[in-house]
This record gives sequence, structure tokens and C-alpha cells, in this order.
Amino acid sequence: MSLDQSAQTETRKTNQPRRRSWLLLQLGGLYGLWLREVMRAVRDRGQLIGGASRPILWVLILGIGLNPYFRGEVYGEATFVVPFTYLQFIFPGVVALNVMFTSVQSAVSVIWDREFGFLREVLVSPLSRTTILLGKILGGSTVALLHGCLVLVLARFADIPLTSVDVLKALGLMAILSFAVTSLGVVIANRIRTFEGFGVFSNAVIMPLYFTSSSMFPLDPALSKDQTRVTYPDWLVTLVEYNPLTYAVDSLRGALIHYNQFEPWMGIAVMIAAAAILFSIALYDFRRA
Amino acid sequence: MTSANLALRIANVTKRYGRTLALDGVSFDVPRNTMFALLGPNGAGKTTLMHILSTILAPDSGTAEIAGFDVLRDPLEARSRLGIVFQEPSLDDRLTVRENLNIHGLVFGVPQPLRRQRIDEMLQLVELTDWADKPARTLSAGMKRRVEIARALIHDSEIMLLDEPTAGLDAQSRSRMWEYVRRLQSERQLTLLVTTHYIEEVENCDRVCIIDHGKVLAIDSPDALRHQQGEQILIFTPRTQSDRSAILASFSDRLVRDDSSGIALKADDRFIESFLDQFGNRVRALSTQVPSLETAFLSLTGRELRDKDADAREVTLAFGKRGGEHTR
Repeated sequence: MSLDQSAQTETRKTNQPRRRSWLLLQLGGLYGLWLREVMRAVRDRGQLIGGASRPILWVLILGIGLNPYFRGEVYGEATFVVPFTYLQFIFPGVVALNVMFTSVQSAVSVIWDREFGFLREVLVSPLSRTTILLGKILGGSTVALLHGCLVLVLARFADIPLTSVDVLKALGLMAILSFAVTSLGVVIANRIRTFEGFGVFSNAVIMPLYFTSSSMFPLDPALSKDQTRVTYPDWLVTLVEYNPLTYAVDSLRGALIHYNQFEPWMGIAVMIAAAAILFSIALYDFRRA
Repeated sequence: MTSANLALRIANVTKRYGRTLALDGVSFDVPRNTMFALLGPNGAGKTTLMHILSTILAPDSGTAEIAGFDVLRDPLEARSRLGIVFQEPSLDDRLTVRENLNIHGLVFGVPQPLRRQRIDEMLQLVELTDWADKPARTLSAGMKRRVEIARALIHDSEIMLLDEPTAGLDAQSRSRMWEYVRRLQSERQLTLLVTTHYIEEVENCDRVCIIDHGKVLAIDSPDALRHQQGEQILIFTPRTQSDRSAILASFSDRLVRDDSSGIALKADDRFIESFLDQFGNRVRALSTQVPSLETAFLSLTGRELRDKDADAREVTLAFGKRGGEHTR
């Protein structure tokens, strides 16, 4: 008796030997689904151009434009003690932004698949629903990771010297982030079933998340907690502190420009937790649907 | 017949959508290596049954087995034996034909060397080898359908479900479709379950199941259905008035109609022979009308396939869509 037959406790009516074990089948299918997502994205020129132009816009226009105001002295006092230029400071945030946008956008294909029959085609395959969803999300996150790398290429324009260790660390963090945000996108796509609705709603979720993640401005790290709450409006501080993305951007900043506002491990922990929770929700929805 | 010889076994399947009964105790068996057609008007429940067989819809009651595997208890085993072509096209437009087939092979766990070989074989079969590396969106509707048929056969499918494979195709593509399907069946061990609402297309099937309002009305071979439900009719014009009254006198029990187009009598082969012996030189414009599946179908369902009477709800809907009274 072969291994995979003994794994199957239930006796089969036909005595035809099972050619491949269940796990191998799922892995092969996972690869197929992943490959499809990546190929689709690579074929789409518009997506690639958008993915490249977005960071250039942020880094060049916003970064260079706001650069002189970042460490300005007010009444002879240095207001910030962040030892970086604005361009350097915003750079990890732009990496995160590009990863997030691409992640959420790749979740649109969930709606696309549902509308145009591919989903049904996969649902009648011998793959489990977990595999199907995982393949989808891994494919989306891979594309997002690639778009994140497009930003990394711009590092030298932002005066950020990158060692290979930095890059590896950043890639790892970007991978977890993209997995989490793609899962979020799928959760949204499962609830909002039209293309237009998805576009509007995902922007309404992503933009506020991004703006309150201290990716564009830091809450002055020189101040104590109480001082921060006096200097900045209370609600903003609360929003920033409760935004999981704050910690993701922070750990990314730690990897790229070696500057952390919080404990470095917090970013990883928060992101893994978010990824796990969002994937579970997506899976729950998908199994039920 | 033992269940080992059956490709599909459907027993008492019922499915309800809200208040409408889509399937009402449907039962039939499909032996292996046969071609079985489900014929019925739109909304008869054909697609619902297809969805139940492809395990994406659970029946409310009853059982459906695919090659001996219950679709509810053993969906993965059942699916790995199925090749399905859905009614709506489901190719990935952005990928090439070959990539579409390759990903299907990966998803169904076909190992690499076999996958490559099957893709080439299948493309050849549906005569699309030249199109293998073209993006799927550049193909015509008929070609896409052919790719989908090829795709359903990349893995070890024993049973192929084709849901309206010819819907929306022109006459030429339709006849080619059937050519491929028949060639397939002769080349490999394959059971085919086809739904259609084109009557002329089921002539070549081994068995036809006529279904309407979720109920099975008849299951038989096309020939048997024709003969059960319709009769041959002999139509002629008598030469003179006396011939006419002589014929009417001797065959009044067989009379179907007697009008300006001539006399029509119910007939079978033996009757025609004896009739010709007797009155052969006393009639002209003699013709026979062989019963068609269409008449068989009509007598069973009581309505034409293509012009189904619109019910009140549909009339209202159409009125609203045209911008009816209150929306003007």
C-alpha cells in the first residue's frame, strides 16, 4: 500500500491507485494559482506603469518639495531631532504605500474572477478552498512585493545607502505587509461585489490608514507621551497609536534608515497578527460563500 | 446494471430556490461511455442540475454520484473525474491559450511531462495549435469554446459535463463543436452529459432526457422518443371525387384531417405498403411526414423550445425595462 493511500483512512470504492498525494496536488495547484496571478499582473502594462509612477511622484514631488521644511528651526529652536532629511524619512513610507496600493488592487481580481467564471472553474477543481485563497493572496502579495522593490530602486535618489542586509530585512517586512493588506483587500472584495464600489471603498480604507501611520510626518519623538498629547490634537495621537500600519512603517523605517520610534519587534508582531487575523476572516468568508 | 458501470447516478434530486422548485425529484442513470443529452427550455432546471453535479451547489435532497462518488460526501474525488465546460466562458483573457491550459493542468495536478503532451494533443484535436501562443482574448467565441473543451480534457476526466456548449455560436461553429465532441468520444473513454435547447443537436446522442419545470418528462433514445410521441403521417390528394369517398370510407379510423391540402392519414410502414397496393394509381402528390423530435418534445412539454410563452412577471419586467408607464 502506498503512503498516500494509508493517509486516506476512508476506504475507496475504486481500487485505482491515487497517483499523487493530496499535499503534492495542493502545492502544485497553489503554484498554478500563484503563477496565474503573477502572469496576469506582469501582462498588464498599466499596472506596472502605475506602480512605478506612484513612488516617483511621492518621492520626487512631495519628498523634494517638503524637504526644506522638515528640519526647519522655529524661533531659533530645532523643532525636530529626527536626524534625517524629509526625503529619507518619507522613503520607507512610500515603500509601504506602494505595497499597500498594489496589494489592495490585486484583490480586485477576486471580483473579476467571480464575474468572469474563473472562480467557478477553480471551485470545481480538486483544490481545497484554503489552497485557492492562499494561492490568490500569495500571488497578489508577490506582485505587491515587486512593486515595493520598484521603490527600493529609487533609494539612491533619496540618499539612502542600502546594504544587502537592509534590503533583505526590508523584503521580509514587505512580504508580511503585502500578505496582510492583500488579505484585507480580499475581505473588502468579498463584501463589496462591484468594481466601482471596491475602488471607492478601498481608497476610503487605505488612504486614512496611510495618512495616520506617521509615514508622512512623525509625531515628534523628542517629546514625552504627555508632551505629545499637548502638542498634537488628542485624536490624532490616538489614531496614530492605534493604527497597525504605524508599526509596520516604523519597522520598515528601522530596516531602511535605522530609525525607530517604537520597539523594532512591535512592527513584526503587529503585522503577523494582522496578517493572521485578516487571512482567517477572508477564509471564513470564502468558505461560507 | 451495477453502479460500477454507471458514470452518473442521479436519484431523486430536489432543489428549491425560494418558492420556485428548480428540480423536482429528478432521477436518471448515465452508463459509461455514452452520450447523454438533457433537453429542455430555458429555466427547465438543466443548469441547476449541472451545478449540482459539478459539486458547487448542494441539492436539498436526493443523491448524485459521479463514477460512484457522492458529490456531497466525496466532492474532491468526484471533481477530479469531471471535465466541465460551463455555460459562461471562463478563460483568462490576459493569458495565452497554452497558459490557460497549463494552469488548468497545474490546478488539477497533472504532472509536467503528461501536461505538456496532453496540451499539444488537445490543441490538435480542436484544431487550435496555431493559436496556442495567442492571448485568449483574440479568439472568437467558437474558438474559446473549443479551448474550454480542450481544457476540460487536460486532466484525467472520465465524465464531461457540457452546459449549453453551442449557445451563442453560429451554425457552422455549432456543427464543428459537435464534430469534435463526437470524435473525442470515439477516441477516448468518455461519458458525455450535454445540455442544450437545440432539438436538432440531440439526434446523435445515445439517450435524451427531456426535462421541464424541474421534472423529467421522458428518457429514451432519440428514435424511440420520436416513435413514442409522434406518428408517421401520409398526405395525398385523391384523383377524383369517387376515389376520395372510397378512401375515406375504408380508412375513416385513420383520418387526421381532410382539407384543401389533401387528406392526411396516420400511417406506419406496413400501412403505406398496403395503401399503395390498393389505391396507388388513384392518388397524386403523395408524401409522408416522419415524426420529428420537435413534435415529440411539443407533445411532452406543450410548448415550443424557443418561444416560450412569457408569463405575467416577465411581461411586467420587460415593460419596466422599456421604460414603462411610470418611468417615462
